[in-house]
Amino acid sequence: MIGRRGWVGLGSVAAVLLLWFGLTTATGFVSPGRFPSPADFWLSLNQISTRGYAGGGLAAHALQSVKLVAMGFVVAIATGVPLGLWMGWDRRAEAAINPIFLIIRPIPPLAWIPLAILWLGLGDGAKIMVIWFAAFVPSVINSFAGVRNIDRPIIEAAQMLGTPRWRMVTEVIAPAAAPMIFTGLRLSLQASWTTLVAAELVGALAGIGFVLNMAQQDIYPGMILVGMVTVGVLGWATTYALGRVERRALAWNVAGRD
Amino acid sequence: MGSIRFDKVDKVFGPVSGGVKALDDINLEIADKEFVAIVGPSGCGKTTCLRMVAGFEPPSAGIVSVNGKAVTEPGPDRAVVFQQFALFPWKTVRENIELGLRNKNLPKAERDGLVAGALKLMNLESHADAFPHQLSGGMQQRVAIARAYVLDPEVLLMDEPFGALDAQTRVVMQEELVRLARVNPRTVLFITHAVEEAVYLADRVAIMTRRPGRIKEVLDIRSVRQAESWDRHERIEDVMDLESFVHLRTQIWKSLREEKGAHGV
Amino acid sequence: MQTIPLRLSEKWAWGALGLVGFIGLWASLSAFGIVPRQFLPSPLDVLTRFIHLLTNPFAGATLPQHLASSFQRYAYGVLLAAFIGVPLGLLMGWFRWLDDVVTPLFDGLRFIAPIAWVPFAALWFGVGIGGPILIIFAGAFPPCLINAYRGARFVEPRLIEAARMLGTGHLRMILEILLPAATPSIVSGLRVSAGLGWQSLVGAELIVAAAGVGFMMVQAQANVATPTVMAGMVAIGLVGMAIDVMLRQGEAWLRRRRGLQA
Repeated sequence: MIGRRGWVGLGSVAAVLLLWFGLTTATGFVSPGRFPSPADFWLSLNQISTRGYAGGGLAAHALQSVKLVAMGFVVAIATGVPLGLWMGWDRRAEAAINPIFLIIRPIPPLAWIPLAILWLGLGDGAKIMVIWFAAFVPSVINSFAGVRNIDRPIIEAAQMLGTPRWRMVTEVIAPAAAPMIFTGLRLSLQASWTTLVAAELVGALAGIGFVLNMAQQDIYPGMILVGMVTVGVLGWATTYALGRVERRALAWNVAGRD
Repeated sequence: MGSIRFDKVDKVFGPVSGGVKALDDINLEIADKEFVAIVGPSGCGKTTCLRMVAGFEPPSAGIVSVNGKAVTEPGPDRAVVFQQFALFPWKTVRENIELGLRNKNLPKAERDGLVAGALKLMNLESHADAFPHQLSGGMQQRVAIARAYVLDPEVLLMDEPFGALDAQTRVVMQEELVRLARVNPRTVLFITHAVEEAVYLADRVAIMTRRPGRIKEVLDIRSVRQAESWDRHERIEDVMDLESFVHLRTQIWKSLREEKGAHGV
Repeated sequence: MQTIPLRLSEKWAWGALGLVGFIGLWASLSAFGIVPRQFLPSPLDVLTRFIHLLTNPFAGATLPQHLASSFQRYAYGVLLAAFIGVPLGLLMGWFRWLDDVVTPLFDGLRFIAPIAWVPFAALWFGVGIGGPILIIFAGAFPPCLINAYRGARFVEPRLIEAARMLGTGHLRMILEILLPAATPSIVSGLRVSAGLGWQSLVGAELIVAAAGVGFMMVQAQANVATPTVMAGMVAIGLVGMAIDVMLRQGEAWLRRRRGLQA
C-alpha cells in the first residue's frame, strides 16, 4: 500500500516537522518574532477558525478567495479557449491578433494590479479583472498550440467524411486539442491563484491575501503561516478538482498518460 | 461512374518559381470499378496523386477529375484510407465508423444497420465499443477500411494502407482486401511501394519515375490474372509462387531499378 | 482547418490591421471620453510620459534607475534559484533516495504561490533587498529544479547503461553524462524560470520595496498618475520581452552547437 517511496517521503516530512519544533520551541534558535513555533501555528489556526481574524473566520476568507478565483478562472477560460481555438484554426485571425498578444503578453499579470485598482477600486471587480489577465494568456496559447498540433491526417479524415463546420469543431478539433487545452487550464488556474493572492495583498477587504496582509502588519507570524498553509491547501484542492475533470474528459488518451 | 482521370497534371510545391516539381505531365485514366495500383521510388509523388483525387491538394497544372467533374474538395464520395489510420482516438470503433453516416444525415435506424454490416464485414463486431488505442495495428486499419467502406463510395483511395503493419498482418489484410474487391468491386486507387502487393491486388499497375514523377509505363495485370486463374488459389503464397506472377513482378522491379539512378538509392 | 500558412505579405497585412484596430480603439475610447482621460490616457499620453520618465525622476528615481534597481534584485534571485535548483535537480535525478526525500517536501510547498511569501519577506527583511530576492527565488526555483530533474531522470537508458559498463563513477556520471544530456531541458527551464522570476519581482515590488519599477507604479497609483502606471507596465513588458528573446537566442545557439535542430 505505502511503498518504500511513501515511507521515505513520510520520513522526510516528519523530519522537517521535528526540525521545526526543535528550532523554535525546544531551542529557541529561531525567535517567535521571526517564525512561528508549531504551538503558535496551532493557536493562530484556532483563533481564526473560532473567533475569526481580520473581519471573519477562516472559512469565510477562504470562501471569498475561492469565489474570486473561480469567477476569474471561468471568465478567463471561457474567453481564452475559444479565442485560442479560433486562432489555431483560422490563420488570418492568428495573423491579426498575434501582434496585440505579443505586446500584452510580456506585461506580468501582477503589473495590472495598480491599473485595476485605479479603474475598479478595491472591490471584487478589480480582482477578477487582474485574474482574467493572468489566466487568459495560458489558455489562449495552449488552446492555439493544441489545434496546431493536431495530426494532419485526423483533420483530413474528418474532411473526407464530409464533416460540417460545427461538428468539426465540437467532435474533432476540441477533443483532439483537449490534452493541450487542459495543460493551459492548469497553468491558468495556477496563475489565477498567484494573482488573486497578490491582489488581495495589495488592496482588499477580505480573503486569504487580506489575512496575510493584516497578519504581516500586526506582526503575527503564526497567522502568516496559517494564511500560507491555507493558500497551499486551497491551491492543491482546486488543482486536484481540475485533475479529476481532466481525467474524465481525457479517458481515451492513453498515449499522453504521464 | 467512379472513373478517375489525370489530364496533363503537374504539381509544384513551394513558390511558383524555384519550387519543387513533384509531378510532371501525369496522364492516367482509371475506369469505373477498376483497381489500379501506383508504384514508384520514395518521393516520386505517388501519394500526391492520391491526395489530388482526394481533394487535399490542387494540381498546379492540368485537371484531376472524377466522373468527368474536376475535384475541388474532399468528400465521402472519394473515401480515403490513410497509412497512419487517422482514427479519432476519442471515439469508439462504432463512433468512428458512424461519423461519415451522420454527416450524410441518415436516419438512426439506417445508420445502425450500415454500421452493423460494416462491423461484420471487417470482423470487428466484438470490438465495436473499444477505443482505437485498445486495438492492434491490423484491427485499427480494419476500422479505417470499415469507416471508408460504410460510405459506399464510388472511389476508394488507399495510401500505403498496410505500410504501418507487420509482415504477417499485412498478408492477412491483403487477402481480405482481395476478397472485398472481388465481392463488392468499386474504383480503387492504391498507392504502395511494395511491388508484390501491387501485382497481387491490382487490375493494372502504373509505374512512376523518380522525381519529378511521370508515369513510366502501365502494366495490365488483370488479363494475366484471369488467363492464369490466380483466384483459384486462396493463399497469397500460392499465387506469389506462380510463374506468371513472378514474371510480372520481375518486370516491374527491373523498371523501378532503372529509376534508382547511379547511387542505387 | 487552414493548413496552408499565409504568405508573409498577407501575414503582415492582417497583423497591421489588428494592431491599428487595437490602438485605434484605445485612442478613441480615450479621446472621446468614453472612459475618462484620468483612467485611460491616450496612447500618446503614455508614450510622452514614458519618454519623460527616462530622464525625469518619479518616486525617487528616473525610470532607467528604477529598472536597474529592479533588475539587480531580479538577477540575484534568479541566479540563486539556478545555482541551487539545477545541481539539486540533477542529484535528485540520479540518486533515487534523494528524490524520495525531497519530492514530498517540494510537492507540499509547490502550491503556495510565491507571492504568499511576501508577509514573511516583509517581516524578515523589511524593505531591504532580501525581501524581493526571496520572492523571486520562490518563483524561479521550481522550473530550475524540475527541468534539471527531468532532464537527468529521463536520459536515454542505453546511455546510462553504456556509461556504467565503462565503469563511470557517480561524480563523472553526473558531470559528463547527465549534465550534457539534460542541458536542453535545463536551458528551457532557465528560460521559464527567468520569466517567472520577472513576474514575481513585479509582485514583490508592489508590496515590499522602496525602489524599483513596481514601487514606482504603486506610488503612481496612489497619486492617480495613470500615465505613469501604464508607462511602468510598458517598461516592465519591454524588459521582460528582451530577457525572453535573449534567452531564446541563447537556447537556439546552444541547440545548433549541439547539432540538434534549432
